[in-house]
Amino acid sequence: MTSSGPAPELKTALIKAKPFLPPCHVIHHLLSTGVCIRCIFRLSGIHDRDCYTSPLDQSHFMFFLEEHNDNDIKSNFTTITYCSICLGVLCSVCCVQEKTGAAFKEITSVNDFVLFISDIIKREEYQIDGFSLEVSVPPVIVANDRALRLHIKQKFEKEQWFNDKFLHDHMSVKDSLKLLLNASLEKYLAVQSVESLSSPFHIRLTYSHSETSQKLQSLVLNCRDSKKRERGSGENGSSKKASNESDASIYRALDLIGDHDFCTRFLVPPGKVDKPCQLVVACHRTPIYIAGRYLKYSRNVSQSRWIIDDERMGEASVEELIGENVLQICRGDGYKFHSAGREDIDVRMLGSGRPFLVEVLNSRILPSYTEIEQIADNINNSDKKLVGVGNLKLVGAEAWNMMREGEAEKQKEYAALVWISRPLTDDDVSNLTSLKDLDVSQKTPIRVLHRRSPLERSKIIHWMKIENVEGTTQYFLLHLCTQAGTYIKEFVHGDLGRTHPSIGSILGCRAEILQLDVTDVKMDYFD
Amino acid sequence: MAENAEPSEETLNKPIQENKRTTEEEKRQDLSSLLLPNPKDLPQIPPTAVETNFSSYFVADFMKPGHDQYIYRHANGLCVIGLARAHLALTETGGVTVVDFNVGKSDRSELKVTGKRKRNALQFESNSALCKVSTNGNSYIVRCCVKGSLLEVNDRLIKQPDLLNSSADREGYVAIIMPKQGEWLKIKDSFLSYEEYVQLRGLS
Repeated sequence: MTSSGPAPELKTALIKAKPFLPPCHVIHHLLSTGVCIRCIFRLSGIHDRDCYTSPLDQSHFMFFLEEHNDNDIKSNFTTITYCSICLGVLCSVCCVQEKTGAAFKEITSVNDFVLFISDIIKREEYQIDGFSLEVSVPPVIVANDRALRLHIKQKFEKEQWFNDKFLHDHMSVKDSLKLLLNASLEKYLAVQSVESLSSPFHIRLTYSHSETSQKLQSLVLNCRDSKKRERGSGENGSSKKASNESDASIYRALDLIGDHDFCTRFLVPPGKVDKPCQLVVACHRTPIYIAGRYLKYSRNVSQSRWIIDDERMGEASVEELIGENVLQICRGDGYKFHSAGREDIDVRMLGSGRPFLVEVLNSRILPSYTEIEQIADNINNSDKKLVGVGNLKLVGAEAWNMMREGEAEKQKEYAALVWISRPLTDDDVSNLTSLKDLDVSQKTPIRVLHRRSPLERSKIIHWMKIENVEGTTQYFLLHLCTQAGTYIKEFVHGDLGRTHPSIGSILGCRAEILQLDVTDVKMDYFD
Repeated sequence: MAENAEPSEETLNKPIQENKRTTEEEKRQDLSSLLLPNPKDLPQIPPTAVETNFSSYFVADFMKPGHDQYIYRHANGLCVIGLARAHLALTETGGVTVVDFNVGKSDRSELKVTGKRKRNALQFESNSALCKVSTNGNSYIVRCCVKGSLLEVNDRLIKQPDLLNSSADREGYVAIIMPKQGEWLKIKDSFLSYEEYVQLRGLS
């Protein structure tokens, strides 16, 4: 053993730890049982971050102990590779795959660990300004913890130090791991870590240890089944061969097993393991939202992707024209398109445009002003001027609520090209323009009756204006402002009398609609 | 569209407010030009809403002579049933005077179909009675023609039976049926097109 002694920071960590640690003979015993130093710290009730982040190794630890020895016990044992409690998790030892299907390789130090994670982030070219760690460890680790505590209690409860030092509340493996990893990751990635998933970027670590987990599972199931047999629930327990039980159900079952029972079935203290855990690292960003207003210049473009019998309806869809462009720049896994209402495939969306949100799933970047401008340019300067966008900006999740609220409340303006069965008179014009806040009753239009409830909906036409079409006597442009949810086409032709009043019924003749355009959708948030 | 010329000295020196108003004005004019159609492109008489949205079929002498009906089928499968032009009831002097939906086992005007799945809809055969239409001397039963669920009857006909005399082909429709799955394909070939019907009845 080299006698250079621990480096200063290690020494500080060890000095901090000393008051908590149990006597030397206990530590020796724990080490010989296969418990790693960090687990010893944990069980001693140490919460100080420095104690976990300092690169501790056994030779320095023993050297330190021997210097501060109560009795003179010479140590002589081999290094622990896989802790019997945390299965190597706290020692930053585990098995990972570079890619799915590749061979597993072992990581043995915290540096390699941090490098592995940051490689994944770099490979996907994620742009991050923070992260939050999610850790999942197999239930067997919690069982191991319990087993060790029971063992220490059995062996040492008569000793004097026990009551002072042992009965502290101690950190779980999960929490200690987060403590030690957050610090290292923060340093390496040069960004802040955030607690409890409030950062949009998540790094999920899922540990598994199949060998011991299977043993635990069958143990727990046996226990549960034998209890059922005792209580005579009439079920033949042995016939149930459970497939993988969820972690939650294993924890529940463990809770139900009393300490005495536990000790008879579980190996106390836990046995040594010859393999570390397998680790899967998954990075993921919570959805980002890009808001804007879209214009639809074409009468052959549907709002959302519309496919019947493998054939697309219309030439394209607003959803895809905008969504694909956003997805490309953000490098996300997918997108969802939401808008404040919609218009038919043959109706143009003009004027200020209709508010929309594109939700980008697992975006690799946080788009900057320039990148958002790029998205707008790509859409607006494409060859076919089918769709246009404006007021594009990155918004928070509250935008969703703003849009839903606005949808039902807001008024919309339209321009309809109307034909009537006799020439338009001045009386007609003054008749229509004088109607303010006209109540209209609309039975569910026949064209949507197959998929909507048969109801009678009351809507309001706030105002109407007439614009003559020069060169014609029976055509005119009808400008109108209506309550959200009003069916305009049916208001013009009457839908066989199921919408009343209608333009035809008001003017006392037959009215038909040739074209419809939406000219305004008022929603301040999207301006 | 003409290229925008370089802004002149005058425009550049105009106060910003005025310039902004011009852009608003421009926007309005742009919108206006997009909305107004070219009168040369407009047909003298455009197709009706029924012609645009439905395929029209006719049946002559349905179960009884002179009982001509139409079936307007929408692209979504729903069928609107009504009296065709040469139906006997429409040719009588005085025309239709009373429409009664209380035929068969129940009053068809009392039905309440609810929800997207169209619960509580009565299931009809093609010969099920929809209503009874009466004139001064006669009465005629109007039938379903297509096997399916009855979604709606035109209850306006109760208070305004005259709708059948003025516009049997539009506001005077009788009922809306949702054909049973597969029924339409079985039955559509037994119907006449508009041209065939007109020819058969010798109409103009």
